[in-house]
Parts: sequence; structure tokens; C-alpha cells
Amino acid sequence: MASKLAIEDLEAGYGAVRVLHGVSISVEDGESVVLLGSNGNGKSTLLKCVMGIVPPSAGKIHFERDGERIDLAGKSPQEIVGLGIALVPEGRRLFPMLSVEENLLLGAYRSAARAKLAENLEFVLEVFPALRERRRQLAGSMSGGEQQMVAVARALMSEPRILLVDEPSVGLAPILVNRMIAKIKELKERRNLTVLMAEQNFNQAIKIADRGYIIVHGEIAFEGRSAAELRGNDMVKRYYLGI
Amino acid sequence: MFSADLLANAVVAGILLGGFYAAVAIGLAIVFGQLDIVNIAHPAFIIVGAYIAYILNSRFGFDPVLVGLLAAPAFFVVGALIYRVYFLAFERTGQESLSGLAFFFGVMFIIEVVLILIYGVDYRLVQADYIGQSWRIGFVDFPFRMLVPFAVATALTAVIYTFMSHTFMGRAIQAVAQDRLALQLMGADPVRIKQWAFGLGIATAAIAGSLLIVIGPVEPSVGRLYIGRAFAIVVLGGMGSISGMFIAALILGIVESMVSTFAGPSWSPAVAFGLLALTLALRPAGLFGRR
Repeated sequence: MASKLAIEDLEAGYGAVRVLHGVSISVEDGESVVLLGSNGNGKSTLLKCVMGIVPPSAGKIHFERDGERIDLAGKSPQEIVGLGIALVPEGRRLFPMLSVEENLLLGAYRSAARAKLAENLEFVLEVFPALRERRRQLAGSMSGGEQQMVAVARALMSEPRILLVDEPSVGLAPILVNRMIAKIKELKERRNLTVLMAEQNFNQAIKIADRGYIIVHGEIAFEGRSAAELRGNDMVKRYYLGI
Repeated sequence: MFSADLLANAVVAGILLGGFYAAVAIGLAIVFGQLDIVNIAHPAFIIVGAYIAYILNSRFGFDPVLVGLLAAPAFFVVGALIYRVYFLAFERTGQESLSGLAFFFGVMFIIEVVLILIYGVDYRLVQADYIGQSWRIGFVDFPFRMLVPFAVATALTAVIYTFMSHTFMGRAIQAVAQDRLALQLMGADPVRIKQWAFGLGIATAAIAGSLLIVIGPVEPSVGRLYIGRAFAIVVLGGMGSISGMFIAALILGIVESMVSTFAGPSWSPAVAFGLLALTLALRPAGLFGRR
């Protein structure tokens, strides 16, 4: 059941604007890796490349599953989801006119997830009890924090081996960010998930990081092999902790 | 002029007519309501369905409604192919709003002209034992040529409603216009989903067409009378809500029937556009709209 993601020398952009300049990162089985960086440094673009939403102009993205090495280049988002990679997108992107339950059921669209639908639905409703009471409510009518819960729960419904999370803290009150990060940590431990999370809120992200990367202007500026190394780094201190 | 039996007959006739309108509008509730594709040619496909029922009925004596049900899978395939063309020519390049409308306008004219070239402009009708019979309860008439379409349309609505709310494909069809990328992130292919939905919408036209020709004689251009009605029903029902569409169809049927009884039949075509204008002015989301 080993899953691994390896990104090598990735370059990507939008039209004439180059966003990523030779980024190499890896995520090993069972790890949670954080990608730190402020707005506009390429975190989301990197995750979009992995999901096949933005085509890379150079570089390689490989997904290893039980010893099988799969090249993700040229694959569509739905094919990549089908391999067992799920993204909680920036801005959540729920189906606003569908109920919470319909959103969650759509999460289990891929065939491997349908088989475990009942079990996974019970699991996410147990982790997010607030959603159980709001199953019939339209997703678009919920608060930002609740929508973020639905987005994470929906991604889990697809039975992913690797979960990518794009800026879960955006638009949430600090106390909700706290709770959300704690939930992602809980999910990771209970499900033995492999997580790659892009985040600009260093103090929150560090809580679930086994290790991480700092991305500045589309390049990896620092690789921290442990949470302690990330905390101790000068640049982190300067830019994120203000010490 | 006004009397209880006239009123009761007008209401019952309206409900039966409204049920048939649901069969006319349900394909558009999927294609226009869910996918946002302005398929103005939908009533033309209904006329094709009516002619297929006519041909097989007059040649082999098949029951027209049975022909409609059997033709539905073929219509599904045709619909899926037409969506393919529409997607490749317009949607992929982002030109669907105006060019797409012109495309379906063209499809409508081609269907009409082909039917006229082959069968002329004469009215065609079908034979079946139940056409011409009726029940009479008290002073209210239940003609079978209206009752059968009502029953079939109600069953069709129930089947589509169940499909939309209880299957993965149905839920994906509801989601595809809301956020295409998010649907891809669920592992679904949006083009395939839309192709399915469009095929399903056209498949209902085969059934609606057979009901149309059971109700009365059909000639190639009568489809035009249903364009305004079908779009008015979908908007009044709340764009894509199947249950809302059914209620809206009944409302249109009842109001049309009352207007035609008490103000004269020549007023009834104005009802649909009147309802459409009122809906857009007072409640743009429709009666049961989620948006």
C-alpha cells in the first residue's frame, strides 16, 4: 500500500508568465509535507500541476503506487483522481446548489471509492459531526468554516492515497484554522494518509509537518528535513515568525 | 358563461394537458436547466418522435406509446452524437452562447424541412383502441387520449427524478454546470457527463413525441408551438429542478385550459409567455429554484 510522489525540475506558468522554475520535491509514504510560501510564489500552481490542471512546460511528476511508477504528465485531472490522488482546492469549490450530502456522495464518484461509500461516509460524518446535522443544507449557504469541512470530507470520500490540501486557512477565522489543522492531523493519523499541504500560515502548518519546503518566487529556497529544522531556519524566522 | 361543470372540466383538462407538457419540458429541464445548453431544437426532436410513432403505427399497427419507449434508446445515441458535434464545434472554443444557439436553430430547421420534404405538410395521426374512448365521472370527462399521455408523462418524470437524485451519473449531471473543474476533481469526465445528459434529454423527446401524436394530429411545424411553453415551464419550475418542472407544467396546463375555456382558445398561446414574463419579473429563481 505504499504511495509516493516525486516531482523533479518542474517548470510551469501561465502564458508568458513563468511561475515555477525547476522545483523538485518529494512526498514519501505516510508523511505530511508542507509547502510554505506567501501568496504568488507558486504553491497552488505546483499542486495544480500534480492534478493535471496546469500542464508543466518541463520536468517530471511521478506517482509511485505499490512499487508501480506512474508518469502523471499529460493525464487529465479525472484520471489522476482515479489513481488515488485527491485535492482539496483553494477556495473549496463545492457544488453550491447541491446539498452537503450530495457533495459528499459526488466525492465517491470514482469506482474504487463507490465500493467503500457507506463506510467512508460514516467516517467523515464522525470526524465532522457538524456536517451530519447539515446533510440536507445547500453547500453554498454554509459558512466558510463549514464549507472547508465539506471540502476536506468530500476529498476523503474519494478514498485517496495521497491528499493534497491547498491553503485550508484562507478566509477562515483563526480559531477555525486551528480546528481545521487539528482535523487534518487527526485524519492523517487515523487514515494513515500521505499529505502534501500548501499553506502560508507557518504557525499552523508547522503543527502537522513532518518536514517541509519553503518556496520563494517559484523556487525551493529551503528544505527542512524536520519540523525543528523548519522552525530553526533563519529565513523562516525572518519572514514568518518575525523574530 | 361561468358554471361549476365548465370549471371542473377546465381544471381536469388542464391537469391532464399539464402532465403532457411535463413530458415536453423534461428534456429541456435537463439540457437547458442543468447543462445551460439552449437547445431550441428540442421540440423538433419531439416532432421526429411523433412521426416515428406515426410511421410504425400506420405501417405495422404498433401502439404509438410503445414505439416512443422503444425509440428512446436510439434518440439517446443521436443526442449524444449531437452533443459531441456541439462540444467540438462550439463549447470547446467557448463560443457556445451565440453560435450554439444558431446551431440548434439550424438543427430545428433542418428537421422541419426534411420532414416536410418526405411527408408534406399534411396532418398525420395514429390509431389505437383507447383514442376516442373516455371515462365520465359525474359531469367531468377523462378522455383516454389525454389520460394516457398524462400517466406516461408522470411515470417518465418519476423515473428521471429518481435517476437524478439517486445515481452517481444523475448527481454528476446536476453538478457539471456548477463547477466543471471541481467535478473533474471528483474523478468524473465533464464531457462524458454532459454527453450522457444531452442523450437522456433527447431520449425523452421520443416519448413526448409519441404522446403528442396520441393527443392529436401532428404536422412538421407544430413543434414551434412548444418552444415557448417548454422554456417557460423550465424557468417557472426553477431551472433544472425536476419536481419544480412538473408542478410548473401542471400550472401552465391548468391556466391555459381555464383561459381557453373562459376567454377563448385563441388566447391560450399567450399564457406561456405571460407566465414566463411574470416569473422573470417576480421570482427569477422560479418556484422551486435553488439558484
